[in-house]
Amino acid sequence: MNQKSGLSQEALQTSLSRRGFLVIGAGGTAAFLAGCGGGQGVGDTNTDAGGEFSGEYTGPAITLAYWNGFTGGDGPAMTAMVKDFNGQAEKITAEPNTMDWPTFYQRLPAASQAGKGPDVVAMHIDQLATMAVRKVLAPLDDVAEQIGLAETDFTGPVWAPAIYNDQRYGIPLDVHCLAMYWNQDHFEKAGIAEAPTDAEGLDEACKKLQEAGYGQPMWMPNLWPAHIMFLSLLWQFGGEPYAEDGSEATFGSEAGVSALTWMREQIDNGYSPATVDADAQYLQFKNGKNSITWDGIWQINDLQASGMNWGIAPLPTIGDTPASWASSHQFAMTSQAADDENRSNASKEFISWMSDQSAAWAEAGMIPARNSAREQKAFTDSPQAALNDYLDNLHFLPPIPGLGDVTVQTMEVAVNAAMLGKSSPEDALSEAQDNATQLMQENQEKFG
Amino acid sequence: MAWVFLAPYLILFVAFVLLPIVFGLWISLHSWDFTLPGKPFVGLENYKALIDSTSVTFAPFWNSMQATGIFTLFSVPLLIVIPLGVALVMNENFPGRNLFRGVFFAPYVLGVAVVGVLWRFLFDANVGLVNSVLGGLGLPDRIPWLSSLPAAWVALVAVTIWWTLGFNAVIFLAGLQDVPRELYEAASVDGATRWSQFLHVTIPGVRPVLSFVLMITIIASANMFGQSFIMTNGAPGGETETAIYYIVEQGLSSFDMGAAAAASWILTLALMAASVLVFWLFRERDGSKA
Amino acid sequence: MKALRIGLLGLLTLLFVSPLLFMISTSFKTRQEAGQVPPTWIPRDPTLQAYQAILNASDTPVFRWFVNSMVAASAHAVLVVITSALAAYALARLEFRGKRIVFASIVATLFVPPVILVIPNYEIVGRLFWLDTLVAVIVPTAANAFGVFFLRQFFLQLPRELEESAFLDGANQWQVFAKIALPLSLPALATLSLLSFLTNWNDFLWPVYVLFSAENQTLQAGLATLQAANSIRYDLLMAAAVVASLPVLIVFMFAQRYVIEGVSRSGLKG
Repeated sequence: MNQKSGLSQEALQTSLSRRGFLVIGAGGTAAFLAGCGGGQGVGDTNTDAGGEFSGEYTGPAITLAYWNGFTGGDGPAMTAMVKDFNGQAEKITAEPNTMDWPTFYQRLPAASQAGKGPDVVAMHIDQLATMAVRKVLAPLDDVAEQIGLAETDFTGPVWAPAIYNDQRYGIPLDVHCLAMYWNQDHFEKAGIAEAPTDAEGLDEACKKLQEAGYGQPMWMPNLWPAHIMFLSLLWQFGGEPYAEDGSEATFGSEAGVSALTWMREQIDNGYSPATVDADAQYLQFKNGKNSITWDGIWQINDLQASGMNWGIAPLPTIGDTPASWASSHQFAMTSQAADDENRSNASKEFISWMSDQSAAWAEAGMIPARNSAREQKAFTDSPQAALNDYLDNLHFLPPIPGLGDVTVQTMEVAVNAAMLGKSSPEDALSEAQDNATQLMQENQEKFG
Repeated sequence: MAWVFLAPYLILFVAFVLLPIVFGLWISLHSWDFTLPGKPFVGLENYKALIDSTSVTFAPFWNSMQATGIFTLFSVPLLIVIPLGVALVMNENFPGRNLFRGVFFAPYVLGVAVVGVLWRFLFDANVGLVNSVLGGLGLPDRIPWLSSLPAAWVALVAVTIWWTLGFNAVIFLAGLQDVPRELYEAASVDGATRWSQFLHVTIPGVRPVLSFVLMITIIASANMFGQSFIMTNGAPGGETETAIYYIVEQGLSSFDMGAAAAASWILTLALMAASVLVFWLFRERDGSKA
Repeated sequence: MKALRIGLLGLLTLLFVSPLLFMISTSFKTRQEAGQVPPTWIPRDPTLQAYQAILNASDTPVFRWFVNSMVAASAHAVLVVITSALAAYALARLEFRGKRIVFASIVATLFVPPVILVIPNYEIVGRLFWLDTLVAVIVPTAANAFGVFFLRQFFLQLPRELEESAFLDGANQWQVFAKIALPLSLPALATLSLLSFLTNWNDFLWPVYVLFSAENQTLQAGLATLQAANSIRYDLLMAAAVVASLPVLIVFMFAQRYVIEGVSRSGLKG
């Protein structure tokens, strides 16, 4: 089996927090954009689905370029799936190209525009709208029909938000969310029998760990995944980050301030060093230098390979109700592929085959999107099955074009500033929220 | 006939230097998104946004200008003085000189990516060699080199020196060797001390080389991108994101080319003003340093 | 003084050599050992796993990146030297209308920072369909004014008599250029080509944004992409860095004198 380049645990990670890397809609200029750029048929990209999909590819031998960002523990599982596909598809060969997500989101529109983009991609559900608006993706309604999928086949909002402007752009592969990991050896030494489920429990656990000699038991990042920790807590406290209609940002509400203040408190309580290098909280978790860390379920594979004694559970409820940030990987086809009938059909076959492998994808530490796949052993035996009952508490970001960039330029900056102690949670969030609202309104004008 | 000689160069020059300068200005007057078909004219709005303190882009842009300024201010003097010192020490024939020269120059041929990746590892606060060695020497060893200030600046400047010291030193060395021996001998005969000889023979003698190195070093520092990109990614909170980094992210990651083009014009004007200033300062005959 | 020199040089050598040694050492460590605290100098269980991972992965063709960089830098150097030498000779020796303006505009761009060209050139290169090809990193940057300026200075200093006597012997302008001026300017040409090669080899910002696919990247861009995808896998990163440095260092070891002398002449008046 091909050992992949990204054998470490960075899936969505650090990169998403690195400013300016997330490509999508932008927004630096003040609101003087005249005219609506989206929805015009001008240009060379094709929003037509390239012909109806019959369910099977019958054209000449073809190679598909498949881009994705699975550089972490989920990489090997995806590589295996692609290999299986190539093995059973006589005429189609899928060639994967894996890069870190921020680079992926920067290159995809640029390459597509230059005609050098991929044919199929795996990407996050909340980016579909932005890519669709930029005419990077082609609709997949016929594929969905062909596979016979419907909303009831899936858990939660992994189906509906893949639709933009009444057209479907993504076919769901999985659900992934934030979880709490702990070092079982440390817990035993500190006499902690069960994973904490609320704020007091977590606080108590940290104190016990400190007494057992683990001076800084829970490191708080100021870069990735700090802002998705913040989002999870925001939802727990009853807030919402953005208005569904894309008109304003609301993450600076009282709920947001409570969320960010709690995060900051963990540093002030001495549970975490004041500054944590990018990814250091996870690396040092594996090294045994801290005991509890919040991270995505995509780390599961990597942790299993590390040989340490670890545990996983849903996030403790720090706020009022249980909640956790989640996203979903979706398969999509580019408009570049849609331009050619053979390429388009081959891509659609690839996508429909891959979406069927939901269960195999559980090996990557993900939660399969399809309800039926979650009943299979591959999932029920997996560590992430611990989150099965928590699925209703998962929250997704709304599918608004350009939102990714807005988050990078505002929310992430605020979380970073507050965690570094550069400004108070309230000030940081209030300024960021104003900026975000401004950017969102600009995006509305720009994308139509 | 002359035009035949000039043609190859001029084609490139017009296509990739003159045309872009004008085109860039044109882009800066529009809301220009590379991936969208509509690119409406917005006049000076992009520029206004950059100088309007209530706009979203004001803070990040000017912080990045400040970052460029800080880095240039701290790196340039060190990048002149240290290589000059090394060149002075190397300015005599001693066994192994060429070997040393090769060792100091080697980092430059490795390229900024290798250097950046290596030093990001060495400066890692937990697993890096730098902190470990400091600890061994009894010095504080938990310094978060890449995630706090001013440590991040120290790291970035230090790495830049490690990377380009050899390059500057080698040029200085050539300049030093160009200074005629007789001048030193004459000064010596007149009873001048080594220091005095340095001030009155060496420095004036290497003046042209000094100004050349100063010029290329300032340009290189003001354009610093690779070290920030690879080592800190602009961290801790965007403070090590240089102006170029900001411009390129705006234009080629967020695809807001209009804003990026406007920012690049402002940066260009600032840099040109700075180079005129340096040029003028250095022309002073009774110069500050030499 | 001698003691001071030895001490200083010894210290500097330590600072320059030990990081490289540590890089090599880490490349032979296991994943766990590479990320452990405190770092070890000698790997406990030396292994080739990092190298195997890097060299087997189709997304990180480090050798290919090396070749791309070589090709790009060489082609770039050749392009620069040819175009600059021709133009510089014309500006130094030939008379024509508009000479002043041409020279002035070229010199003026010496003071224009390259940042102003990045965004528009990206658009231009995109429209020429050069994105994701080596042409994009070879051609656009070849038009910098330094080469012309540098060579013109040199040509101006050549004694005219040689050229004049060649004219008297019946040579035309082209022959005078190719057979008299060029051979005399070999040192300057060598310096310029070396500087251009090194500059292009070190070019980072432009290739990172202009090259996409794994096979088309240059060494600098590819390493940056690799690091982004493996940010704390220091064993992999060091292995990649070693693979990226080794060929370069070997070439440098042999060409050292030539390279350094070429660079050192760049600050002199020829």
